[in-house]
Amino acid sequence: MSYSQTTHLHYKVLALTGEVDLHNSPQVRKQLLAILKKGSSVLVNFSELSYIDSSGIATLVEAFNYAKNNALTLTIIAATGAPLQVLELTNLNKVFPMVDLLDDIRE
Amino acid sequence: MKLVRCEHYKACTNELSEIRSVVRCACQKMGFVESEINLLTLAIDEACTNIIRYAYCGDKSGRIDLEVYQSETEAIFFLTDYAHCVKQSCIEVKDNKLTEPGGLGLKLIHKAMDSVQLISLSDPVGNKLELKKRLPQG
Repeated sequence: MSYSQTTHLHYKVLALTGEVDLHNSPQVRKQLLAILKKGSSVLVNFSELSYIDSSGIATLVEAFNYAKNNALTLTIIAATGAPLQVLELTNLNKVFPMVDLLDDIRE
Repeated sequence: MKLVRCEHYKACTNELSEIRSVVRCACQKMGFVESEINLLTLAIDEACTNIIRYAYCGDKSGRIDLEVYQSETEAIFFLTDYAHCVKQSCIEVKDNKLTEPGGLGLKLIHKAMDSVQLISLSDPVGNKLELKKRLPQG
């Protein structure tokens, strides 16, 4: 798994590449919480993500709750394939704001 | 029952990627479609994650054995660990368990598989998890 950080409008974008599992989900958690603690809303780009397990999902839930409690947002971009299946299985596709394309995000 | 794969791994999180790769290949060989392969791979990964976290409690010297068999009607996965014995009730899904450690992983395992059984081993001490999934028709 690798990640990169960019900016889109007033959002920070965390793009995840590869596979998120118990081995590397603590890194994702650290990145997400660091962004949110600086007061930025976050877009998590799944377009290059091929796999996420329950530890990755738990990380997203924790970050989503932190964002919600601090008047920020966490939005998932371009979830497809196995990661989308996991979100649907856990019904979290109905909890997280999700959009297909980064360009769909407006101010 | 035909043996499809038999592998041994250290109880380390950096083995999970290789385990998923082996399970994906085995599932492809048995004719599962992509969406089912995703779920079965997830289930085995979650089971291994729970073994690493809660059976071995992070002790990296532990071992996990993965065996994949194909019967006429089912894919059968066995995961064997040599940690302390775990009760069957620990791997059953209850809604109030979702927020407990490993609860979400258990839910995903049960959603992916048709049956999940835990067999306690006495010599050597450990656990053998049997996960079954009906093979695709035709």
